[in-house]
Amino acid sequence: MENIFIRPELCIGCRHCEIACAVEHSQSKDLFGMLKETPQSRPRIHVEIGVDFLTFPNRCRHCDPAPCIQVCPTDALYRDKDTGNVIIAYEKCIDCGACAIACPFGIITFHNVPQVSFDREVNAKCDGCIDRVREGIEPACVEACKTGALVFGEINQLIRNSRKDFTIRMIKSQGADVETSKIPKSVQQYREILKKIAEIGPLPNS
Amino acid sequence: MKKIDAKLIAQQRSIDESSQEIIEKAIKEGIETAWDRLEKQQPQCGFGQLGVCCNNCSMGPCRVDVFEEDGPTKGVCGATGDTIVARNLLDDLLVGAAAHSDHGREVLEVLLDTAEGKAQGYEITDVEKLKVVAQEYHIETEDRDKNDIAKDLALKMLEEFGTVKGSIDLVDSRAPEKTFSMWEKAGIVPRGVDREIVEGAHRVHMGVGADPTNMLLHSLRISLSDGWGGSMMATDASDILFGTPAPNTSFVNLGVLSHDKVNVVLHGHNPVLSEMIVKAANDPDLKALAEKKGAKGINLVGMCCTGNELLVRHGIPLAGNLLDQELSIATGAVEAMIIDYQCIFPSITETAKCFHTKIVATSEKSKVPGAIYKEFHADKALDIAKDIIKLAIENYPNRNHSRVQIPNRPMELMAGFSEEKLRESLGGTYKPLIDAIVAGKIKGVVGLVGCNNPKIKQDYGFVALTKELIKRDILVLVTGCGGVAGGKAGLLMPESAKFAGDGLRSVCEALGIPPALHMGSCVDNSRILVLGANIAKELGCGIEDLPLGGGAPEWYSQKAISIAAYFVASGVYTILGLPPKVFGSEAVVDILTNKLNDVLNAAFAVEPDPVKAADMFVAEINRKRKALGI
Repeated sequence: MENIFIRPELCIGCRHCEIACAVEHSQSKDLFGMLKETPQSRPRIHVEIGVDFLTFPNRCRHCDPAPCIQVCPTDALYRDKDTGNVIIAYEKCIDCGACAIACPFGIITFHNVPQVSFDREVNAKCDGCIDRVREGIEPACVEACKTGALVFGEINQLIRNSRKDFTIRMIKSQGADVETSKIPKSVQQYREILKKIAEIGPLPNS
Repeated sequence: MKKIDAKLIAQQRSIDESSQEIIEKAIKEGIETAWDRLEKQQPQCGFGQLGVCCNNCSMGPCRVDVFEEDGPTKGVCGATGDTIVARNLLDDLLVGAAAHSDHGREVLEVLLDTAEGKAQGYEITDVEKLKVVAQEYHIETEDRDKNDIAKDLALKMLEEFGTVKGSIDLVDSRAPEKTFSMWEKAGIVPRGVDREIVEGAHRVHMGVGADPTNMLLHSLRISLSDGWGGSMMATDASDILFGTPAPNTSFVNLGVLSHDKVNVVLHGHNPVLSEMIVKAANDPDLKALAEKKGAKGINLVGMCCTGNELLVRHGIPLAGNLLDQELSIATGAVEAMIIDYQCIFPSITETAKCFHTKIVATSEKSKVPGAIYKEFHADKALDIAKDIIKLAIENYPNRNHSRVQIPNRPMELMAGFSEEKLRESLGGTYKPLIDAIVAGKIKGVVGLVGCNNPKIKQDYGFVALTKELIKRDILVLVTGCGGVAGGKAGLLMPESAKFAGDGLRSVCEALGIPPALHMGSCVDNSRILVLGANIAKELGCGIEDLPLGGGAPEWYSQKAISIAAYFVASGVYTILGLPPKVFGSEAVVDILTNKLNDVLNAAFAVEPDPVKAADMFVAEINRKRKALGI
């Protein structure tokens, strides 16, 4: 199954994924148009800061089996057969929040969506950009990510890159080309400095 | 909802107990502060942090994938990460230099107006310094009226800002010959104050600056036009107008606010404004009005650099540094905060709305929404100043005493160590200091300067590093928010020599001075340059040969980048406690931290850990001592 694989060390907290997600799920699908819409489109991917100023983009994992599907009392949540994505039938959602309670990742947020005509909030979580994926286009957040923190494809293949890199490091080949993230020295230095600053300031540190 | 432990949060935000007290008050009363806004901003964009975001032109905004994966490696114009980082640094630095130099320009304009009899309330106070500086400018001083001398000097100094002259006298004459040669060789001798900044802005335009080294060298040139130009002229002209500082004692931290007097906080930078407020407040009619309104008098306190200017010249108490500006209002005890420009949070008008406090903006350059605007002009300076004080006094009855909380432990501090008075106290030359350095009693001298930054616990960086340095027998000179931090921690009193190593302590005890000497505001970092230059001249070497260091442990501003750059450009190794936005380019980091050594015998470093930073200073100081043969 295709899914989004995240390489946390490449996330730098720019939040382009959030903007792209909101634009993709807006009515006009355009940044400036989006800002004039009611209801306001909201991101379904959430970049959070952890410790030492390091960040992680949180989105729905489209679990199988999915705890949210299991607890939903109205069958508003269901799985798309082709992509395996967990999708919401907005008009069936009764905004009870059971799915959010069950979700291990805390990625379900509730907002007004244009698909629901009454003024009520519904589960507005990531739908895996199912419309784009059906047309062979990668999800909006992946397209927006310019550091490669979010990659889309067959998980088994994506994780193989990490495995190969680790293999090479284990064998300690000299001058081997690593396939996964090579963090430039200056960025490593930068993160080490941030770690020290987190220790002597009020923001969370390890 | 997790119960908020306001006290614990306050302790994580600041090391100063008086500030902590009011941080707690602000949390409990729901008053937003910079710390809250910093949290809300997280995560801050990594492209921005690494300096690889370019938002200059309309083909963008662009960013570069620092991990060199599949993302873009160049902006639309073709600029690489190296170019973008160097260009952004140039942009930030020139803004900082502009702030300092424009402040200097204003002081010179007031000097000119005063000399021509067009200014109200100002006078030439330090005639001695006027003559000394005038002579440096080859202006005749013998048997001449001080105002005539001042007029000639003001005009000559204003000329330094232009294009035609092509040189800045103070750069050429005050810097030691060897250091000046170093600048000539590097191609960074500044030609004019405004010129270097405008050219810098030109180079930032798309399709101009592309070579990182080329842009960084011009950045250094701009910084020299600030440190040895705009800032130095600001210091000198302010000394001429208002007096050269001499050591005095006063009090610092939020505890200097008064329970029963009209509290007026003077915030911002330029003494041309704050000096007049001080003068106006002495008016007997205003004092009578204050009493009529139920107050026991008028309590003027400083904040940030203008506070430093008033402290070092008149011993006016200082309420705090950068992060204390909102806290001072949050005490509930401030009738008016009078501002000119720089380092003023635009949110203070919102903070003031929580209380009766009035924010009075005085400069057309720095209007703030929500502030009362009383435009300040030199020709009506005293009248306008009195008007502003009257406004504050009339606000006193609006103070809600039940909402007031003022910390009750103001710290005593010693400040006002101008280069002139320091040299005078040593007997007229630096020989005693040089002897102490040669003998190893004092290993070297480090200037700790710069701002607060909410990313680091307020004042922690300064206080910890000051203590580590003096422990290692390194004399510390402080300015700006750093000076205030040292003062709040009690380090600026002679008694603090007990925290120093044996060598430094013996010198301090002999002279009756603290181990950390407060030299003034941020433009007064130029005093440190003059000190370095004079010591170098006595030894017959360059500033770059001396065992000196510079540190900005908690800097935030673009001005700090310019200051750090002019320290390094002058041959002084400088450690920043927070990283500048350059780590997206290995090449730029290498130039700044490594290659500059070949050109300037000094470089930048980044180190938040005070113990490590102190060790790094010692290593550098030892390197220079060894080269000097001591």
